[in-house]
Amino acid sequence: MKTVILATAIRILIPIFIIFSVYTLFRGHNHPGGGFIGGLIGAIAFVFHTMTHGPQQTVDTFLRLNLYGYPRQPNQSRSLYLMRMMRVNVWRRRKLARHPEIKQRMIRIEPIYIIATGLLLSATSGVVGLIAGQPFMHAFWTDFYIPVLGKPGTPILFDLGVYLLVIGVVLKITFVMSEE
Amino acid sequence: MFLAILAGFLLAFAAPLLYRWLGKWVYVPMALLPFSIFLYLLTLAPAVLGGDNLGELHAWAPSLNINLHFFLDGLSLLFALLITGFGTLIMLYAGGYLKGHPLLGRFYLYLALFMTSMLGLVLAGNIISIFVFWELTSISSYLLIGFGHDKESSRSSALQALLVTGLGGLALMAGLILLGIAGDSYTVSDLLERGDMVTSHTLYLPALVLILLGAFTKSAQFPFHFWLPNAMAAPTPVSAYLHSATMVKAGVYLLARLTPVMGGTDEWQYTLMLVGGITTLLGALLATQHLDLKAILAYTTISALGLLVTMTGIGTAPALEAMVVFLLAHALYKGTLFMVAGNVDHATGTRDLTELTGLSGSMRYTAIAALLAGMSMAGLLPFFGFIGKELLYEASLQESPFRWLLFAVSFFSGMVFVAVAIALGFGIFWRRSTSPTALQHPDKTLLYLPPLLLASTGLIFGLLPGFFVTPLLRRAAEAMLGVEQKFELALWHGFNLVLGLSLLTLALGYVLYRFSNQLLSYAARFNGLYLFGPANLYRLALKGFLAGATKITATVQNGYLRSYIAAIITAHIALVVVSLWKNGPRLEIANRLPELSQLRMYEVVLLLMIVPSLIFLFRSRSRLTSIAIMGIIGYSVALFYILFGAPDVAATQLLIETLTVVIFVLILHKLPAFRYLSHASERYKYVLLSLSFGAMMTYIILIVKQYPLDSQLKAYYGENSYLLGQGRNIVNVILVDFRALDTLGEIVVLAVAAIGIMAMLKLRMQKGDKL
Repeated sequence: MKTVILATAIRILIPIFIIFSVYTLFRGHNHPGGGFIGGLIGAIAFVFHTMTHGPQQTVDTFLRLNLYGYPRQPNQSRSLYLMRMMRVNVWRRRKLARHPEIKQRMIRIEPIYIIATGLLLSATSGVVGLIAGQPFMHAFWTDFYIPVLGKPGTPILFDLGVYLLVIGVVLKITFVMSEE
Repeated sequence: MFLAILAGFLLAFAAPLLYRWLGKWVYVPMALLPFSIFLYLLTLAPAVLGGDNLGELHAWAPSLNINLHFFLDGLSLLFALLITGFGTLIMLYAGGYLKGHPLLGRFYLYLALFMTSMLGLVLAGNIISIFVFWELTSISSYLLIGFGHDKESSRSSALQALLVTGLGGLALMAGLILLGIAGDSYTVSDLLERGDMVTSHTLYLPALVLILLGAFTKSAQFPFHFWLPNAMAAPTPVSAYLHSATMVKAGVYLLARLTPVMGGTDEWQYTLMLVGGITTLLGALLATQHLDLKAILAYTTISALGLLVTMTGIGTAPALEAMVVFLLAHALYKGTLFMVAGNVDHATGTRDLTELTGLSGSMRYTAIAALLAGMSMAGLLPFFGFIGKELLYEASLQESPFRWLLFAVSFFSGMVFVAVAIALGFGIFWRRSTSPTALQHPDKTLLYLPPLLLASTGLIFGLLPGFFVTPLLRRAAEAMLGVEQKFELALWHGFNLVLGLSLLTLALGYVLYRFSNQLLSYAARFNGLYLFGPANLYRLALKGFLAGATKITATVQNGYLRSYIAAIITAHIALVVVSLWKNGPRLEIANRLPELSQLRMYEVVLLLMIVPSLIFLFRSRSRLTSIAIMGIIGYSVALFYILFGAPDVAATQLLIETLTVVIFVLILHKLPAFRYLSHASERYKYVLLSLSFGAMMTYIILIVKQYPLDSQLKAYYGENSYLLGQGRNIVNVILVDFRALDTLGEIVVLAVAAIGIMAMLKLRMQKGDKL
């Protein structure tokens, strides 16, 4: 669907959408909101982007990671190699021109990975209780308080998992539907 | 004991890895495990032989009476030693038999899995854990029979064994639960003391029928015997281990174990004697009708199992003693003969009795093993099989109304055993022959050592019966009888009636062997009978089930979403109407009418928005319009939520409505043009269904509001959400803290739904594509 106004507007709106969705996620504990609602808000941003620009464009813009790397030299120590790889990826722009052996590799973040991450986060937040000898899903809270976000604790982790999963599910459905 | 079982399972799953590391030497660790368990059990033996019962309890699900309870008395010790001792030999033998097979690691995995499950079965002291291990043996047996999965026959045999024993397993589960109710305990040691309580309980008969069904299917009793000969599709180590010595004896073990609990009644005795007797005769008769070595052995095994069941059914002290002695003797010689048959098959490439002659020259050690086992099977004097046969005859000749019938059964099977023993132990090896069957490879150590060891055990036990065997078997018989026994095994009983009958058996067995060819020529005449046999019934039943399942699936799963939804809603309406009709509260609408005057303005406005849009929705002939109207209705409902104080629900509803509309729009232009294809009456049917569903929900809500809401939940969550959950938004605290497990379940469903949608729409995914 080609509408210039929506297409332009959504590009500016997406950061706002995402910030708002994260805010909704964290305020959920004391006010209306939470992981599910936050996830839906975040997902709507991407859905609108897909609607106006097509799924390929959305994937290229938001769901792709460019990593840079080169094969490990035979006599190079593993830790040194790892450090250099990290440095290449952090300050890659300066290095790229001077090192022709550095290759670019794209990693596409499939929505299914987001779903899996969300599920993993939610499930592990419950395991914390098990490790401490409490029942599964027993909540733990820290004592300090972060402005805006609130008190960190395992339920927040759980909610974050729900948030990611909802985004992943909606994205997956949208991509599948629009690619059909 | 728990550690032994655990180690078994761990090693089983490590087997493929070990095969990768050790190659052909994988049999070393695999044989060491059962051997070390065997030694461990031997260290426990003095205590058990002294009359103690050892127990070990690990809580599993105590609230459901399910515990990992291990229990070692004479009977379990006998079986456990048999399983691990024979298991050691079989592990060695399999290493030689399947040497170089690419899937040897997997084979060891299955075999060790089976061995451990079987060990767990005989050691289990809780009837639910007995069932768990019982099913594990069925599953591992299925895997082992189907090991040569590239052959159609092995796949169908494996499935047949699984279906038959699995059916019995289900019956057994029900029976064991009934037994647990009747005896008011799920622990074997408790039940053993409550025999009278169980047998006088009203649930005794159903429990008995179900448990017998389980035991009979597992132990291949008539009419479920047909799976055992087919199970010979498995590699020979499996046939030797599972289908002669251990797994098929699980049913016998269960019967023996439950003898003090359920035995002694007329139902028990007559059923076991009848079924066991028929099986004995049938097995012996069919054994004479085959030429395949393994088939002959399979049918004699069925016959022997029948004898064991008959003896358990008689239930007197001599009968149960004879049963344990014969059980051990049978395991020793039948396992050996199976391995011998495997060796012959491996070396010559054939198992046909008529093609095999004069192998004693080329397969010296195998021939010796076969001779020793054959003499034990025939019941010749210095062998353990002789003692077994003497006791069998003695037990069947005891004072009872059926003594001659019982004796005839054991005499006939004994005769066939002699004939088979001569054919296998003597005929194919030692009879002089001018043209011995050619070998493809010479005899191998790993192949002839295990049968030789096993067969000589039979000789040693026969020569020194008082040494270790007598106390063990005495304790085993005591476990079944529940009282102290004084029984001594002796090789020589003096000249008496039984010895004379033994000699007569030998003579007649030899005659049977000489005329076996004539007997075989009659075989073809019985072919018509097989049409009425259980194997054919099984085939027909399976075919019928498949056809029926196809038909039902085609009707129920017709692929139209609307019919699924209609079915769900109809069922829902029916259930609610029925329960309201029977004793539900009545709606008193008259007193409630004045409440209508309290209607607020915006409620009326929302109603005015929803109802006309609904009517418009029915009239609309465009998808876009319909979706937009659905959106309007959804938003109005969300407004309702806001009005009644549920902002979280309202927010979710708003977002979901938005998403639904957007996603619909995404695929809208890909759908075909909107047309009415169905008849009007078809559509009105669904309108009617929707109307009745709506009416029902309204009615329920009106009824619910009729009574004051009197629930502690709201107050509890309201009070504790900040104190315990550290949050002021009750809804969210419930979702992520109080009832987080529910939420976890819901998000799992969501994830699965996403995968389902993807699978449904992307069925054309190419091979190798990622998700």
